Amino acid sequence: MKHAISITLNADIVYTRIASQVAGAAAEVYANEVGITGNIAEFCHAFELSVSESFTNSVRHANHQADGDVTINFFTDAKGLTAVVSDTNPEFNPVTPPPDVTLYPEGGYGLFIIHKLMDAISYSRKNDRNILTMTKSAHPPAI
Amino acid sequence: MKISSKKLGDYTILSLSGILNASSAPQLKSYLEETDFSGSLIIDLELVDFLDSSGLGILVGIARRKKAANEILKLANLNDRVKKVFEITQAYTLFDIYDEVNAAAE
Repeated sequence: MKHAISITLNADIVYTRIASQVAGAAAEVYANEVGITGNIAEFCHAFELSVSESFTNSVRHANHQADGDVTINFFTDAKGLTAVVSDTNPEFNPVTPPPDVTLYPEGGYGLFIIHKLMDAISYSRKNDRNILTMTKSAHPPAI
Repeated sequence: MKISSKKLGDYTILSLSGILNASSAPQLKSYLEETDFSGSLIIDLELVDFLDSSGLGILVGIARRKKAANEILKLANLNDRVKKVFEITQAYTLFDIYDEVNAAAE
């Protein structure tokens, strides 16, 4: 069965929990319906946390645009559960080096966490919007 | 999120509960700036339901300041969801982590 959910939130940090909770709920429904390899709680947490990080990045880089928004589309297909996070911010490089924790950095973990938790990530720029697509596979290949 | 603190022997216990994310992190930051946490500190994370990188950044900042001041900082009661964030970022290497507050305070 295919599902699609779309939410649009103001680019305001107060909506972070809404974004992540919708993601967590979508992951829970998906995992229970499709059946996944591995622990359902870990799957849901990984998806919830990744969307939380992406939404936070979108808000942080919003340059205080009063009318800025962040749209998150969720859908399922044979690849797994996908979240597409788009915003109107300036273009960014989605590839970031891992933070050097020995330097006690207080930031720079967000994209790194997403890369660690999701199975596929892609970035594109379309109609002056950043589009970050993140997929969590139901049955990731064994490493 | 809810924040409280108390004394236990030589330690101050800072107890956090709820969601520690980008939205609530400024609340914790303000609390830390307004309260004297000099000396040995244990942060009890038992009731933290969700931690993201913004929350982690605050905790790493505390660790950096404690290290610079040559003071003791310990974390206690990390649930699986919180522990995961420390593991994937390797931030656990910056902290002394204990299963329980009483064990941390011994």
